[in-house]
Amino acid sequence: MSGKPGKALLRQLLLRGQGKGRLWAALVALFIGNTLLLLSVLIWWNFNDLLYGKGKEEGVGNTYLIIGKKVTNNNMGLRGATLFTQEDIDSVTMAPQVQAVGAITSNHFPVYAMMGGSMGFSTDLPLESVPDSFLDSKPSDWNWQPGSKDLPVIMSSQFLDLYNYVFAPSQGLPQLSESSVKSLALNVKAGPADMAETFTAHVVGFSDRIGSVMVPQSFIDYGNKKYGNTGNNTLPSQLILKTKDPSDIKFTSFIERKQYSTNSQNLRWSKIRAIVEVVAGATGILAVLLMGIGTLVFVLFIELTIAKAQQSLILLKEIGYSPVYLIGFMVRRFVPMVTIVVLLSGSMAAVVQVWAADKAKVQGLTLHAFPGYPVWTALAVSAGILLLLVVRSISRAIRMR
Amino acid sequence: MQLSLQQLIPQPLREQVIGRASGVWQQELVLNSGEYVFVKAPSGTGKTTLIHMLCGIREDYDGAIKWDKVLMKGAKASEIASLRTADVSVIFQDMRLFPDLTAWENLEIKRGLTNTVSEQCVTEWMGALGMADKRHSMARTLSYGEQQRIVIIRALLQPFKWLLMDEPFSHLDQANINKAAKLIGDVVRQNNAGMILADLDDNSFFPYTQTILL
Repeated sequence: MSGKPGKALLRQLLLRGQGKGRLWAALVALFIGNTLLLLSVLIWWNFNDLLYGKGKEEGVGNTYLIIGKKVTNNNMGLRGATLFTQEDIDSVTMAPQVQAVGAITSNHFPVYAMMGGSMGFSTDLPLESVPDSFLDSKPSDWNWQPGSKDLPVIMSSQFLDLYNYVFAPSQGLPQLSESSVKSLALNVKAGPADMAETFTAHVVGFSDRIGSVMVPQSFIDYGNKKYGNTGNNTLPSQLILKTKDPSDIKFTSFIERKQYSTNSQNLRWSKIRAIVEVVAGATGILAVLLMGIGTLVFVLFIELTIAKAQQSLILLKEIGYSPVYLIGFMVRRFVPMVTIVVLLSGSMAAVVQVWAADKAKVQGLTLHAFPGYPVWTALAVSAGILLLLVVRSISRAIRMR
Repeated sequence: MQLSLQQLIPQPLREQVIGRASGVWQQELVLNSGEYVFVKAPSGTGKTTLIHMLCGIREDYDGAIKWDKVLMKGAKASEIASLRTADVSVIFQDMRLFPDLTAWENLEIKRGLTNTVSEQCVTEWMGALGMADKRHSMARTLSYGEQQRIVIIRALLQPFKWLLMDEPFSHLDQANINKAAKLIGDVVRQNNAGMILADLDDNSFFPYTQTILL
């Protein structure tokens, strides 16, 4: 009997001029802008996590550098001239881009390694140690206590390569795999001949980061204290630095000014990382622009819809409809649309993250399986701004008519 | 509800009204609730302008209009909306119907605002004014006389303390005027309301308590 209820009549009067094509175009523009914004945050967040992450795995962007004091004609004869004093270590710790500093401590007591059998050889063995946090990966059996006869050793991968590709072929010796090396046992004599101790050393891992033979810090400290002539005051001849961006001009000029030597090869990744950051930043700027355009298109669409319903709006107010009621009606019409678009954008970001994490796993990289709080924060902020603009534009457009 | 008019001068008609005898313009006038007021207004004296000023559609005037304590000029949109919904209803001379809604929908969109009159009552009123068969006709297809009857019914679909009428029967024949006047009179009495009817010539549509020359 009654025909259309009041709300349906209001829709007919106020939304008749909006046009489905224009509505969809505005919603698609909003969706694309919002999604790109979230994806740019996603890209930034993932790269940031990969470059500077402090999770189980070290961020791939962290660059480890080993520095030493350059040996020159002037200092080559001076005993201890290339050792790092505590003052030196403090200044390096305070240097730009340096996140952590570890002392590489070498043995100041005799160490002699022997291997019996057909491969028998014996040699003096220089050992070093670094704090555990600077190791590429820490083997589970990486510890040594005074009294223990088993000595775990981490060997530089370069040593094995040198043996397998240079030494073994030239001497007619068999090449060795990593696992076969780990199964070998070395007899290690430490200390002066009159009070030497014997240990059984096992290679428990290989390092790409540090180019020497490493033993646990506790072993070096024990040996230096017991047999060394420096006691507890063993100064390091090299430092290992964890740096955020070693390509930073402030850092490189610090290294040059101090006349430290380092491996410039490590700087290559930093340049790649800088390029990635620029690309991520540019994507972000583009996304903000597109989001702005998407929002503008949607707000203009709303204002156009209201402008087309101008006569109806005036008459509705003349017969008693309050602006607040009409604003509420329009807000209830458009806000759910905006909410759905924002939720779809968030879902899209989640899907992309799941996909990216899956793809990254193949490359040996670990990404979060789900977008993190920066993405949701961006979603909340963009949704808040969008809703504010929509409500404001509806309110202004209705009140002024 | 009391209506107070204080030294009103419509700005577009300033030159015409100044220096001319009028019971409204440039006067202090108080109309008390329940009064039936006929405003006799020759052409061009500002009859429609006055009705529009009273219901807050126009603000281009000097002086003041007060409905009880609500000063119309500068009133909040919510105050005016409340006044138009609960206190003052208007029969516009120029109809002001939604052309793309049917006759019934034009009534329904007003009725739904306060929901104080039943659908059955609206149907009866349409029948009383001979508009039952025009229920589903688009407003733009109705004759002026038919539109005017819809506008009359629409003005009665809310509670009111004053009914403002601007030449409400200008397009109706005598038989339809009688029917419409009876309906209006009945509903005004039900609401214990007053009325202000502005028209060109003297008439006896209602038992006026005072007649004012505009």
